[in-house]
This record gives sequence, structure tokens and C-alpha cells, in this order.
Amino acid sequence: MGLIDMSVRIGEVTFPNPVGVASGTFGYGSEYDELLNLADLGALYTKAITLEPRAGNDTPRIVETPCGLLNSIGLANVGVERFLAEKVPQLERFGCPVVANVAGSTEEEYCQVVRRLEEAPVIAGYEVNVSCPNVKHGGMAFGTDPLQIERLTAALRALTRRPLIVKLTPNVTDITVIARAACAGGADALSLINTCVGMVIDTRKKRPVFAMKSGGLSGPAIRPIGVALTYRVCRAVSVPVIGMGGIMCADDALQYLLAGAGAVQIGTANFVDPRTAGAVISGIRQYCDAEGLSSVGALRSLLAD
Amino acid sequence: MQQYESTVLSNRELCQSLYELKFRMDQTAEKPLPGQFFTVRVTDSSLPLLRRPFAFAGFDAATSRARCIYQVRGGATRLLSAMRPNTPLDIIGPLGRPFSLPQPHESPVLIAGGIGLGPILFLADLLRSRECEARLVFGGRSKGFVPASLFENRDTVVCTDDGSCGFQGTVVDYLATIGSSLTDTTLFYCCGPQPMLRACHEFASRRHLRCFVSIEQVMACGVGACMGCAVRVNDGRGFVRACKEGPVFDSGEIAWD
Repeated sequence: MGLIDMSVRIGEVTFPNPVGVASGTFGYGSEYDELLNLADLGALYTKAITLEPRAGNDTPRIVETPCGLLNSIGLANVGVERFLAEKVPQLERFGCPVVANVAGSTEEEYCQVVRRLEEAPVIAGYEVNVSCPNVKHGGMAFGTDPLQIERLTAALRALTRRPLIVKLTPNVTDITVIARAACAGGADALSLINTCVGMVIDTRKKRPVFAMKSGGLSGPAIRPIGVALTYRVCRAVSVPVIGMGGIMCADDALQYLLAGAGAVQIGTANFVDPRTAGAVISGIRQYCDAEGLSSVGALRSLLAD
Repeated sequence: MQQYESTVLSNRELCQSLYELKFRMDQTAEKPLPGQFFTVRVTDSSLPLLRRPFAFAGFDAATSRARCIYQVRGGATRLLSAMRPNTPLDIIGPLGRPFSLPQPHESPVLIAGGIGLGPILFLADLLRSRECEARLVFGGRSKGFVPASLFENRDTVVCTDDGSCGFQGTVVDYLATIGSSLTDTTLFYCCGPQPMLRACHEFASRRHLRCFVSIEQVMACGVGACMGCAVRVNDGRGFVRACKEGPVFDSGEIAWD
């Protein structure tokens, strides 16, 4: 196999390959440390980090649907102080770029979390979670309003030189409006899609399975939605797009890369087979080799009109 | 915890709705303990999507053979029940926190309801190998739901709701009849449906006796990453993970309401 440049540049950071593991599906990395070599990952996106610890939503929190997983976790996390004290030292050992997924109920909370994380050298960049459908305040409320998203992105931009990746929700009328707003605020990249709002009703109890009524759908069931929205956003903005939604194998990832994404994230598939990211990395490399490409970035321009 | 390819050794129906799967563990894999579980992928397709967790029902270190007892409930367990010997199995395990073993002065009573039999049998075997005799109480709906072959050469009290086999009533009804023989060194180990676990907890706590329960919870990752299998607890932690801090808990830790 020829030498293929698998690296991806976002902002001022070069990631070793285009395959990351998605926030919320990989904990803080240590959960999977025994099962795979984390140094092989293109990036590890942490569980969302908020200013204070959050217990998360009432149970049940997950229900399987056809080819999908509906979740209502509710940003359960240890909070930024425990993250810095307990998780950062572990993350420093893993040898892969770490992107901190940041969430909050208010603009000020996002800013406070980023200010604290700026002190941790292991953090390569930030993914701004403005798309969680499972919390009452913040989350998707930011991600569906272009004015708020531009303001929040600009506020965070003023705090850091690290790559700022804004994670978009598919649950909007026109995702390109939101994408442009994030870019206007100074985003270095966009990641999409977060989960699709969904609901399962228990017909015996005659009520929704989740206390929050609806949840976020992930897994292969949403892959065509993710690919279509990635295709649209890639044609609306000039910053790199990180595609995700239902990637189970290299061929799924290649759909996103051909649609125009510069990188991808593996989410729900980590639960099904923790080795997925590794298999996707080698599958993309093989495809590039077979196509005679010298870099993974060249995939972006291969799609027929 | 390791991920490895195993193979099915045998797979048989024990009684109505209960099956026993035996498989070969990777010889380098960590040895499972009673209360621990593994996850298995039942199909290469995405339907069903998630791995399924099952408690170990036994492990033979000499042959690296493990077993679990499961119930056919839906698509995933139906696929599992159709697996013939030599079928490859994608296993991750052992996972979770095992049962704490009794102190020499304690008298364990092991209580299993239906599908909860697996980890309790594993514990009974381990205790027997250490010459610690433990009474085993099993509860099932009726005679057809009792895996009698597993109880041969074992001091077992079988309880059925309709009295078609053994004691008529629930396992807790049975415990009430032996209440006077319980001492303050009695210790309960329970696995089964949530209402049974709760009833066992209440029975034990009324008598100020310790009770360990193994909780069943829907899981996505099984390794502590997704926070999906949360269990509400009484202390300041709010929720803990069934897959990591559990599935075995001191019943007093759990917020049962």
C-alpha cells in the first residue's frame, strides 16, 4: 500500500487521521482503554462537560429501536472540576488528540467551562454541544437559533485559539442557516449530526418510555439523514465538516467523506463493537490506496455531480 | 475485560422459556466471578443493534468453559437460542462487580427468581467448592418453568406461584415460613425480577440482615461509557451504573421507589 496522508487539519491542529469517537459514546476514554489502543484514534471527543456535575435524567434512559438507539441520558457528567482533576491525567496517557465536548444551560456556563479547560494542555480543541435534545435548558435551544449560535460561538472564540467545532442538530428546518451562523461566529469546523428527536410509547402503560417523553435517535437508522445533511452543509460553508450518524463500517464513513466531510466520528457503533474506529481507519486507507489517492482529503472532490 | 471470539459449545432449552448456553472462553481472558457478566453480539447485521448482557452462570477454569442461563424474550435472545455448536460468538467480559463472598461466620441464603438463576448457581458452586453450604431458594411461575435438571444433587427449595412444584407461593412467602431459623448472621444473595428483589430487600431490612442483589438493567455499552444503565441510589451520587458499580449492590444502597 502506498503512503497515504491520512491527516486532517482543523484550525491550527493536525489530527493524525479522520476517524474520531463521538461524544457520549466513549465516556472519558478510560472505559475503553483495556479493549483497544486509544493512540490509534484520530480524535477522542469526551462526554459532554458542564460547569457542575449532572446526575442525568430519570430511568429508563435507553431503548433500542429498529437499527437504532433512542437515548435520554441528559448530559450526565462529572462536571469540569472533577474532569480536570480525575479525567485529564488519564487522557494525557492515551496518546490521541482529545476534543472536549462542552455544554451548558447559559452562554456564561459554556464560557466558564472553556476558561477552566484552557488550563489543560491535553485538550486539543472544543466541540460545542448546542444540539443535545435531552435537556430542558440550553442544549438544542441554542442550536436551533442562528442568532444565539453566532453569539455563543463568538463568545467562545474570544476565549481560545484552540479549534472550535460547533456540533449541529438535525432537528431544524434548514441546517445551512445554523451552519453559516456558527461560521459567522468564528467556528473552525462543524460536526453533524447530533441525534434526531424520536419517541417510543409503551402501549401497555400508555405513556412514553422516557420521563422526558422524547429522546435522541442514533445508529444506522439515521445514517442517510446524516449523509444528506453533511452533503448540504459542505456546499454551504467553507470550514471542514465532521460527519457522523450511524457509521458502522468503512463504507459508511466513506459515504460521509465523499459527501464532502473532512473527517468522521464513530458513535453508537462503539457500543456494538469497540473496534469499529480501527476498522474504519484501515478501510478508508485501503479505499484511498485502491483509488490511487495520496491523501484522504482528496476524497472530498471525487463525488459525481 | 477483554473482547475475543468464542465459540458455542452447546445451547439447550432447560425448561419453558429458560435456555443454557455453554461457550469456550479465551484462555488468556480474566476469570469471571459470580455476579459478573459479559456482552455478546448476536448478529452481524444492525437488527437487533446492541450487544446483549448476560450474567455468567458458571465457569470451569480447567477447560475455560463458561455458561449462562437466558430467557427468550425478543429478537436478540431468539437469535441466540438458534445458535448451534461451533457458531462464533463475539464476547466482551468479564464485566461488572461480583458478589462479595460471605465471611466464615455468616450463613448465606441464595435466592433466584426465573432468569436470575444464572449468577446464583455460579455463586452456589463457588461456595460449595469452599465448603460453605448455602441454601438455594428458586422461584418460578409453575412446574414447567423450573429447570429441574440444574437442581440435582443440590439443596434447593423450589417455589411456584401455583404450587405445581415444591412450595406454593413466592420465594419471599417461603422465607417468611423459615423466619425463625434465620439468625443475625444470615446473609441474602438475590437475583431475579425487580419486584422479587425489592421484596427480598424489605424482608431482609426488617430483620436488619444484609442483602445483596444483582440488578438487571437495559445496557448500551456495558463498559461504563454511556450512562444508559443508571440505577438510582440513596447516597449523594444520585445514579450509579449497573454495568460498572453494579450489577451487584448492597440492597440498602438502592432507591427502590
